[in-house]
Amino acid sequence: MKKLTIRLTVNAESKEWSIAPGDLLLDVLRREGYFGVKRGCEKGECGACTVLVEGKPINSCLMFAAQADGREVLTIEGLAHGDTLDPLQEAFLDHGASQCGFCTPGMILAAKALLEKNPNPSEREVREAMTGNYCRCTGYVKPVEAVLAAAKACRRAR
Amino acid sequence: MFDQVDAYHRPRSIREAVRLLHAGGSRARILAGGTDVIVQSDPSIRSLVDITQLGLSYIRKAGNAWAIGATTTMAELEDSAPIRGLAGGILAMAAAACGPVQLRNMATLGGNLANASPAADTAAPLLALDASVVLAGASRRRRVPLAEFFSAPGKTVLGKELLVEILVPAPPRGGRWGWSFLKLGRTESDISLVSVAAGLQLDARGTCKSARIALGAVAPVPLRAAGAEAILMGQKPTLARIAQACERVARDVSPVTDVRAPAEYRREMAGVLAGRALRDCAQQAGVTL
Amino acid sequence: MSTSVVGKNLRKVDGVKLVTGGAAFTDDIQLPGLLYGKILPSPHAHARIVRIDATRAKALAGVVAVLTYKDVPRVPHTTAGQAWPEPSPYDTYLLDSKVRFVGDRVAAVAAETRAIAEKALGLIEVEYDVLPAVLDMEQAMAAGAPVIHDEPDSTKIFDKRRNIAGYILREIGSVEEGFRECDLVIEREFRTGRQQHCAIEPHISIAWLDADARLVIRTSTQVPYHTRRQCAMILQIPVSRIRVVKPRIGGGFGGKQEMLLEDITGALALATRRPVKIEFTRAEEFYMSRTRHPQILRMKMGARRDGTIVASQMTVLATTGAYGSHATTVQGNTGSKVLPMYRAEHMRFECHVVYTNTPVAGAFRGYGCPQGFFAQESVVDELAHELKMDPVEFRRRNAIRLGDIDRLSAQLGEGREGLPRVVRSCGLYQCLDRGAAAIDWERKRTARPRPGHLKRGVGVSCTMQGSGIAGIDWASAFLKMNEDGSFYLQAGASDVGGGADTVLSQIAAETLGVTLDKIVITSGDTDITPFDVGAYASSTTIISGGAVRKAAEKVRQQVLQVAARMLDTAPENLTCGANAVSIVGDRRKSVTMTDIAMQAMYKDKLQIMDGASHYNTDSPPPFCATFAEVEVDTETGKVRVVHLVSAVDPGTAINPMQAEGQVEGAVAQGLGYTLTEELLLDELGRPRNASFLDYKIFAAKDMPKLTAILAETDEPLGPYGAKSISEVPINGPAPAIANAIYHAVGIRIRKLPIRPEDVLRELRAGGML
Repeated sequence: MKKLTIRLTVNAESKEWSIAPGDLLLDVLRREGYFGVKRGCEKGECGACTVLVEGKPINSCLMFAAQADGREVLTIEGLAHGDTLDPLQEAFLDHGASQCGFCTPGMILAAKALLEKNPNPSEREVREAMTGNYCRCTGYVKPVEAVLAAAKACRRAR
Repeated sequence: MFDQVDAYHRPRSIREAVRLLHAGGSRARILAGGTDVIVQSDPSIRSLVDITQLGLSYIRKAGNAWAIGATTTMAELEDSAPIRGLAGGILAMAAAACGPVQLRNMATLGGNLANASPAADTAAPLLALDASVVLAGASRRRRVPLAEFFSAPGKTVLGKELLVEILVPAPPRGGRWGWSFLKLGRTESDISLVSVAAGLQLDARGTCKSARIALGAVAPVPLRAAGAEAILMGQKPTLARIAQACERVARDVSPVTDVRAPAEYRREMAGVLAGRALRDCAQQAGVTL
Repeated sequence: MSTSVVGKNLRKVDGVKLVTGGAAFTDDIQLPGLLYGKILPSPHAHARIVRIDATRAKALAGVVAVLTYKDVPRVPHTTAGQAWPEPSPYDTYLLDSKVRFVGDRVAAVAAETRAIAEKALGLIEVEYDVLPAVLDMEQAMAAGAPVIHDEPDSTKIFDKRRNIAGYILREIGSVEEGFRECDLVIEREFRTGRQQHCAIEPHISIAWLDADARLVIRTSTQVPYHTRRQCAMILQIPVSRIRVVKPRIGGGFGGKQEMLLEDITGALALATRRPVKIEFTRAEEFYMSRTRHPQILRMKMGARRDGTIVASQMTVLATTGAYGSHATTVQGNTGSKVLPMYRAEHMRFECHVVYTNTPVAGAFRGYGCPQGFFAQESVVDELAHELKMDPVEFRRRNAIRLGDIDRLSAQLGEGREGLPRVVRSCGLYQCLDRGAAAIDWERKRTARPRPGHLKRGVGVSCTMQGSGIAGIDWASAFLKMNEDGSFYLQAGASDVGGGADTVLSQIAAETLGVTLDKIVITSGDTDITPFDVGAYASSTTIISGGAVRKAAEKVRQQVLQVAARMLDTAPENLTCGANAVSIVGDRRKSVTMTDIAMQAMYKDKLQIMDGASHYNTDSPPPFCATFAEVEVDTETGKVRVVHLVSAVDPGTAINPMQAEGQVEGAVAQGLGYTLTEELLLDELGRPRNASFLDYKIFAAKDMPKLTAILAETDEPLGPYGAKSISEVPINGPAPAIANAIYHAVGIRIRKLPIRPEDVLRELRAGGML
């Protein structure tokens, strides 16, 4: 089996990994210790494996690792700066938006991408941006509240 | 899942991509967004031909038409100002309805068409706009009207070729146009039970100069409801006329029963959705029904 | 009583690791030498294994073990996570020579990689003698139906030859007499579908032998202790040689109140002497784990003209699938928690639970109540309509009240005689009041129908549940103090995501007079934490919390003893609060918890520590009034929920934010149950929609406006007045929506899920179109 080498940036760190051509990005990320990227369905439906590639949310279960060569990937582990949590993470904590927490990394990243593009989203736009992240615990109520609150906090900070 | 894949190619030219397809035979698979390839998990795949570096992500004017590169993503279509402005934005709407944002960032227009699901959301607007696709083979390119591109569920006329471009002619000028795109699903992010893309062009007297009704998910391939269109052509659109056209739509589709809905319900909904779309088009084109 | 930690919206104690993607879940570890395990599922709904040969599979490079029924002990058991002796039939085997549903275990493989394991499955040669299958529960008891459990060593099955896993009959008074007294009797039939839990984390277990050759099982479970006991029995090793560890769980909802993968993973670990992981794919999760019990219910209720419900009778046919996990207990609840909602003098409940060659049903949030309340609350609505009474008023008139005794529960405990239930706290009426106000009931009930094809309506339902299983659910907790004035809390309880760790920590902190950050909790590890039945029956806050309160109270006494000596006074003169102990009335005379700890540990040479066990002899019901506003599209049949109000009496909400979260999540599952979710099988018993693509759960864009209301009361049997909240809100949406549809368009849908094509057909039949 011929291995490939991919060079990419993960959470602002340069990585060089040896992979098989058919490896999926989700599997490689978890193999390399990024446990925050979750396996929920492997069919690109639940969004638990969401990562940001050049700032865009994608399902890492639907991307070959080889396609990540030369790209910039952000996982949940790269969101906080040392001990300083991202406003979205703080908002999720303040609003009780994480119950079991399995969908949380994917949701937060999808929300992060939304707020980068649209700092003042409506509730409808937040729901639209998060509709690819299934949650079975929260009914989405507090996650949506948390994203709107984080957006407000970010706008105030600016 | 893809442990049998032993080669991943990222060709730099269309010629090289086609060559790799030939070399790999039935075990080579084109990879653009990957959203269908990976989900389908075909264990016979041995080589992947990644076509995202061939410069096929673009949206540009080509004479009287819009040329969309095959690897343009749904997200790019949905965000594109010209596509949003084209034909009431029906193609942009269909791209936006393709699935959640994670999917739209990867899924490509070419992939959506080449996958040829009877329910492919972008097919109905493209058919309504008389789009065609450009296929690149080893030695030549050919242009195929989209209406002739789909042959059966999951099957197209693609040989050992690459779908490289989708050409969408600007709708004919004159009079007033109205456009509509609607889909029905069990939830907001569902594969369509029925999708409809419609366009009506009315002249200065309010007579229908052009009627386009395209449907997805209600036949083996996405189709134009030619019979229903004929009922509207050359006439002033009225509620009764539109109802007649919808009855024809419901008769002319051939839906199946699946886990999403029974065939009879889809048949009926094809008529209902076509009616809503046509009434919306007529109103946009200035008619009070 | 004013509290400083209980009742506050404090951040979850495990919150930071969840929002930063910390390695907290079962799969978030790397183990050297880890093998990948996989189960070979049966392709047939009913078959005998005539020949099974794993030679070719074993010969594949990278395969380390293959197990068939010939390689493992045959120990009849139930997989239901229930207290021993489990009331469910002992009809399941680690591996068997017969398969009873498409997806049943045929063999198991452990290999170096997932790909090799999957390939190995295909190399196991199996010859089946395919038997006729029964897929339809209405055919299961018919003469000549194939017998699913014909094996002689299965026990606790009510009638093997007729495929009856369980049978229940209970009556209070005489419904026959009761109905004769009534001016109005309505009898209707209802059908409910096969819902799947769809926890975003599938079932996963990892097993290995530690350095002492003890079997360690790290697993996504709601019931670590039951799992340990059952694995010991099945694998024939002592309980003391097994450790079950429950990390963070990605959702359970009852699907993980089951010993599902732990036994087979353990068997592979024992066979290979290496760590083995089995994780279900999403498809396997749909049809090879557990589902809700589908039911056919006949509901008959009678009332006098003055609006008093006199008699109610429920007759249920349910299928438990191929194995009897939770068979009698779920269905027992359908009667015992539902009928007593109203003060009918006469009640009768009869239920047959049958086997079919279909995916196995088990525990699922609500545990039989969603089915029962769908039937009862729909008939109650019809009664109200016929009697020309407002549906809310009719319920107010008849619903259970503070001080009432529910005698039906005395007959329907968890598989045995239960205990009579006394209602010691009842916020139902506040729930009705506040819920009605939130949805604007009066105005919307009398609003004129809008013109056009969209019709709106509002409907209501009253539901209740229990809080722990009386006399059976029990828990224990242990606390010990550290130098810095903090306490380690060791609780057997299973936090499956609802925030139990936080709630238990809040209870401990409140009792000890410390801030929440001074409690460090470990839960769900059978080596470290004392026993707890696990997270089910809405028991964690009230039972596990009760144990925590008791243990904390005992530790508090020890703290006060030390402080009393330090402050030269009697313990009765002291009060705890804000991480310190002070003399009542003289706050300046105080010592900090840190001072006390250091004194105890290094001067007195005393470890402040203690534990306690707890159970209740009653199960205080939480109450829930659900109001739904719907919009029916009469051209497409689509039902859109515009607004859903769920008003709940949970007793005291220990953490109101978490409590609301439970309501919101339960309602979302209830909405799916009502409108979109159903696992479908084909004519051969194979799943047709085992994926999120084809089985639709509600996503963010699908949710209606959702209002969660907490109408708190004070329950004497619960810590700080708490009852429970995690299940009851799931019972409300289906009947509230069905009743709202009736208000909107005058049709009654009696089958779940409510599909657009069904609505359209009823509209046509009712002459509405």
